[in-house]
Amino acid sequence: MTEPAEPQRITPLRETLTEPQTELPRVTTGGEWGRYLRVFLTFARNSLIRDMTFRADFIFHCISSIAWTAMNVGFYLIIFRFTSMIGEDTGWGQDEFFLFLATVWFINSLVQAFFMPNANEFSELIRTGGLDFALLKPIDTQFLISFRRIEWSALSNFAVGLLIAGISLHSLATREEAAFYPSPLSLLLYGFFVACGVAIMYSVMICLAATSVWLGRNQSLYDFWFYITNFSRYPMEIYNTPLGRPLLGLFTFVVPVLVVVNVPARILARPLDPRADWELPLAVWACVATFGCVMFSRWLFRHSLKSYRSASS
Amino acid sequence: MAIIDVQELTKSYRVYRKREGLMEGVRGLFHRDYTEVEAVRGINLRVEAGEFVAFLGPNGAGKTTTLKLLSGVINPTGGTATVMGFVPWQRQNEYRRRFALVMGQKNQLWWDLPAQESYRLHQQIYGVPADRFQKTLDELTDLLEVKDLLGQPVRELSLGERMKMELIAALLHSPEVLFLDEPTIGLDVIAQHNIQRFLRFYQEQRKITILLTSHYMKDVAALCKRVVIVAGGLVQYDGSLAGIIDKFSGKKIVTLQFADGDRPADLDRLGTLLDTHWPKVKIGITRADVPRVLAETLRDYAIEDVSVEDPPLEDVIADLFHQVS
Amino acid sequence: MSLASHLPPIGIGQRLRIWSIIVRTGLSERIAYRGDFALGTLMRFLPIITQIFLWGAIFNAVASDAGAERDDSQRIGGFNFPDMVAYFLLTMIARAFSSMPGLASGIASQVRQGEIKKYLIQPIDLIGFLLLSRISHKLAYYVVATLPFAFVFFLCRGFFVAGFPPPHVFVAFLGSLLMGFLIGFFLEASIGMISFWLLEVNSLLLIFMLFSFFLSGHMFPLTLLPESVASVVNLLPLKYLAYFPAAVFLNKIPEDELATEMLIEAAWLTFFIVACRFMYSRGIRRYSGFGG
Repeated sequence: MTEPAEPQRITPLRETLTEPQTELPRVTTGGEWGRYLRVFLTFARNSLIRDMTFRADFIFHCISSIAWTAMNVGFYLIIFRFTSMIGEDTGWGQDEFFLFLATVWFINSLVQAFFMPNANEFSELIRTGGLDFALLKPIDTQFLISFRRIEWSALSNFAVGLLIAGISLHSLATREEAAFYPSPLSLLLYGFFVACGVAIMYSVMICLAATSVWLGRNQSLYDFWFYITNFSRYPMEIYNTPLGRPLLGLFTFVVPVLVVVNVPARILARPLDPRADWELPLAVWACVATFGCVMFSRWLFRHSLKSYRSASS
Repeated sequence: MAIIDVQELTKSYRVYRKREGLMEGVRGLFHRDYTEVEAVRGINLRVEAGEFVAFLGPNGAGKTTTLKLLSGVINPTGGTATVMGFVPWQRQNEYRRRFALVMGQKNQLWWDLPAQESYRLHQQIYGVPADRFQKTLDELTDLLEVKDLLGQPVRELSLGERMKMELIAALLHSPEVLFLDEPTIGLDVIAQHNIQRFLRFYQEQRKITILLTSHYMKDVAALCKRVVIVAGGLVQYDGSLAGIIDKFSGKKIVTLQFADGDRPADLDRLGTLLDTHWPKVKIGITRADVPRVLAETLRDYAIEDVSVEDPPLEDVIADLFHQVS
Repeated sequence: MSLASHLPPIGIGQRLRIWSIIVRTGLSERIAYRGDFALGTLMRFLPIITQIFLWGAIFNAVASDAGAERDDSQRIGGFNFPDMVAYFLLTMIARAFSSMPGLASGIASQVRQGEIKKYLIQPIDLIGFLLLSRISHKLAYYVVATLPFAFVFFLCRGFFVAGFPPPHVFVAFLGSLLMGFLIGFFLEASIGMISFWLLEVNSLLLIFMLFSFFLSGHMFPLTLLPESVASVVNLLPLKYLAYFPAAVFLNKIPEDELATEMLIEAAWLTFFIVACRFMYSRGIRRYSGFGG
């Protein structure tokens, strides 16, 4: 009787493997942080290698984002031809407002460089089932999908922000009326609250990305992100009208995108002392809101993974 | 204790039924219909350490879903499973450092980068010490003969080369359990053969446990002693490859070669006439009848040559799939 | 009798049927993504809210600079506050006609991936097909978007202080919207056609979109620009994509110049139709010359 299916003859491989290896060494808690840092650096490195293989694209992205900045600056320069301030008695004159704009640019460029490409890719990973691989890795899934890609070209906006901030600070320090330099403490606080702002924006983005697990295609959710964050791009005083106050409350306390730019920009644009009596509570609230947003987004993200169905093929 | 232990595992999905046409589409704006699809209906499976098990089944049988459940990528609707004592969908890091999943239809390497950059990333993620990483990478690239391709962007590699790279990525952390979902899909015969050869060798040397799904019987025949047939979300058969024929096919195929120009017309009384290619005739005959029919045939006709074979495994399995679905 | 009889020539009836199929398919394709659709339309009005507040604050400051209470007498570039809000609402309508998401990049990817061959083989004209599918997409969009648009305009009716424009101006407004749609289409299609020569037009497209956002009047009324810049920008066709229809509706175009302006717009439209056709035929010739 012959064999059922002809067995495939397999030519033996000459080489032999070394003895089966023992388990991987355990990673200690101290080493855990180091491992995450190393993974992050490898992501950064790989993204840079990738960007450099498409150098023309990279340069082009830089140019177009600088053009976009120029248009915005142009727009506000036009507006300041007609007015001395954004809003009556708000203190957002041209120099102060351009510091505000620079802050918008810092935060946006950081979000765009570190999180935007990843959030965009996340819904793609859901759609194609590529999230499978992220779930297999022995590392926090949220960390993995949040930092996979870094868009270095978006940091060109950070540089442009520095330029705008530099010019405005110089102008503030040399103007005739009420000239001042920000103190080291203001700068320190500024850096801290910019970081808080980035964390809040990141949380909003993760929440929206998490919903794409339930909703599938979610182009309008990203539009939604732009529209929501659009509220954060202007001084909060402009909403201080009878009709605007509900919005002011909503975007300060429920979806706290208004504190993202306003708190740091306000710290830098004026001397630290004197301050209106509501500014300190607002800054404290910004810290609380940052913590709350990060925790909520993490909870929502984990929850959404439970509903992940993994598209086949 | 079994390294993989699955009991009554089920998974069902809610699927939105899309409607045809404009008016139906408008109606769909306000109301959606869902149907429950049961991908896995109650799988039971025990695999001992060091086994190489094949999952066979028609498309949509639940093979891939089972592998995904065992990898913890999706959560089950019911039932239990442990792999190396871990519950997969808890996704503990200790578990995830000890197994790997390779999917022939998806790739995890960075498309625009050389594979070695992805490997370095894996090294960091899995926390593989540098010297060990280098040694493993050298061995694997040697075995798969892809050393020169490490520096090339993945998008420039052929499908077969890419699959080898994917395998390396999955084995860099020396997993004890490996899930392979259609690892040779779309590859040409030579590339398939290379992958099979490597898998067999690697499994024999390292004694790891492998679960493989494939459409190619050759993969299965070359690699696995044990075959699990899944269809309709249930295990239909669990045993050796040869056993499938014993269990599911009651027939033998008898090939007769007639001597000089003899073309008898009444051959269908012997069994089912499968193929006539004078002077050769193939007849399907019920197993128990084979000795009797053969004796009669040799007595009644002038026969030059006789062979008795089992039906091709592909046919048996195709029939089986057909019956189940 | 020959084995293969020739297909009868395509008559007008047949052609209409083909067109209606293209339009219907496009419609149902669009409506299938219902969630995106309804949500997306409402979302689009969110930036208007910030715009209203921003301009409110600016007009407040302008009044306070002049030492006056804020009323409708303060003007920036000829627009008082209600005009400004009405302007932004109207540019939303104009953009709903003239924006062509994915048109140029779609053509570019078809050229790059060789799908353009399909149009050389099948008896369909690429530009005609794209125009019809775009019309159906737009129609589907208006079906869903009319309600939210009407709702928002109803809420904001107070900003239209001049009331509804006289009939002839309204007709001009409708005409400018339609021509805006066609200019938007043929302008972007022409950019897409560049891909026959340059493989990577997406970068070019992005630059174009940036400029168009700024110079079409989407960001602010073009009358705010300094005189020297405004005189140049007024010569460009970009203003027809947003500024012009809104300005017509708000009576910002002097009555006696309206007809001339409309004629100039029609001339631009003709120019882009010809340019698009010309580039397509040249591009196809070049493409088949390569043996693609």
